[in-house]
Amino acid sequence: MSGRTADVAVAAGFALAGFVVVLVPAVAVRSEVLNAGVGSMDDDILAASAAMGAVHMVLAWRRLRDEERMAARRLHLWIASLNALVVLALSASVLLLLVLYWFPDEHASLANRGFPVFLLWAGVQGVAVLLAEATARFFFWWLEPRGPPRSSRGGAVLTRRRRLRS
Amino acid sequence: MVVMNRREFLAAGVGLVGATATAGTLAGAVWPLLTREDLLPGKAPDVQLIPRAWQTANDRLSFVALGDNGSGGRQALAVAERMAITYQTAPYGLVALLGDICYYGDFRRRFDTVFRRPLGPLIDAGVGFELAIGNHDNALHFSNQGLSAIEAELELLGTPGRYYTTSHGPVDFFFLDSSIPSLYGPRAPDQLDWLDDALTSSANQWKVVALHHPPYSSGQHGSTPGAQERLAPVLSRHHVDLVLSGHDHNYERIEPQHGVTYVVSGGGCKTTRVGRSAFTAVAERTLQFLHVEVVDDRMTATCVRTDGSVADRFTLRAREGT
Repeated sequence: MSGRTADVAVAAGFALAGFVVVLVPAVAVRSEVLNAGVGSMDDDILAASAAMGAVHMVLAWRRLRDEERMAARRLHLWIASLNALVVLALSASVLLLLVLYWFPDEHASLANRGFPVFLLWAGVQGVAVLLAEATARFFFWWLEPRGPPRSSRGGAVLTRRRRLRS
Repeated sequence: MVVMNRREFLAAGVGLVGATATAGTLAGAVWPLLTREDLLPGKAPDVQLIPRAWQTANDRLSFVALGDNGSGGRQALAVAERMAITYQTAPYGLVALLGDICYYGDFRRRFDTVFRRPLGPLIDAGVGFELAIGNHDNALHFSNQGLSAIEAELELLGTPGRYYTTSHGPVDFFFLDSSIPSLYGPRAPDQLDWLDDALTSSANQWKVVALHHPPYSSGQHGSTPGAQERLAPVLSRHHVDLVLSGHDHNYERIEPQHGVTYVVSGGGCKTTRVGRSAFTAVAERTLQFLHVEVVDDRMTATCVRTDGSVADRFTLRAREGT
């Protein structure tokens, strides 16, 4: 496998893994509700998770493709992505649990006034996606050598870095 | 071999340890809690009911038994909506609440969310609610906080006491406080003596006992320790017809024990797994309530799921000379 193919595969793998961990809470809740004998259930939380998972896929894919061109070592973006995935997996579920568990009356009141659960669920998971992106960028920034730019990764990097610094 | 500097090693270590800890936390705690609890908000039932459409007479009564319904979430609303729809075709004037009517907070603060909002159509139709108090904390012992919550429930629902008896048509109901201090602990003789006297003086054709903790159960909590030894003999001696309980979040009907039929009806808003025991007649993990109709010498009980389908139906015949 060529280096470029490997980069694409790794970027796609991380993006897809992110999609899955965002989707899991909705799939688990839906499955449990249906197992409980409820004949049907609104697909709002599944749709919200799928939407946020897709947003994360796009963000992660674009970030990884950018970082592949900038990274001093590929290892840096893999490590950063691993940490981001951990934060995404944890926050996509834990934030939901906390928000739903600690403010049930507020959500009931909102639902009573027609506020869609889709927005609540997507909003909370959107925060998780942002946290994961921030984590990835922080670790990548922290791992990358700071100082005069090096030309070992080719001219495109130098051009991009000079543009960013100017 | 990959050579890493100090930062790379540290960041990779954080990632690997974090991944391991996260996997354990999610699988062991977060996902089970998220799926077991009824946390999703939903819409209140929008069902119009004819007030006081039921008929109660000396030989006729309809009522519903609902257990563990205190989430106010989407599943509780689905059960409550089905109860309202059932009322449209088979009206009833009483709901026997089998405990745990409020999770996730104080009942005073959550009254609208867990009681008024889901059961609004039935409340507006004039249906009465009578409560067997629950525990809220998956243990038999009441904490001070639990006692405070119970006091709030008794006050807001206008319940006369922690254990009491009521009569509706041909049925005498006995609502018990099934906590350790009250029914199986040091204070047990007080309530058991009261129950013994109340059952002795009961003159109605049917006797129904409602309590939170099940004497017989194959659910997650199982049979309540001490109940079969201390409570069950009293119930069988007085020819109680039906014992309704909750606590385990499922439906289970027990084969008659010394002439007494026991039912666990705890699927009011969430569900847990239920097995089968030697005493099990029917068991199902499902959201449900029990609709009971008494006509003449027959009591027919139907376990209704949220989609309106029937999980179980059984009929009891009145016992002569009891």
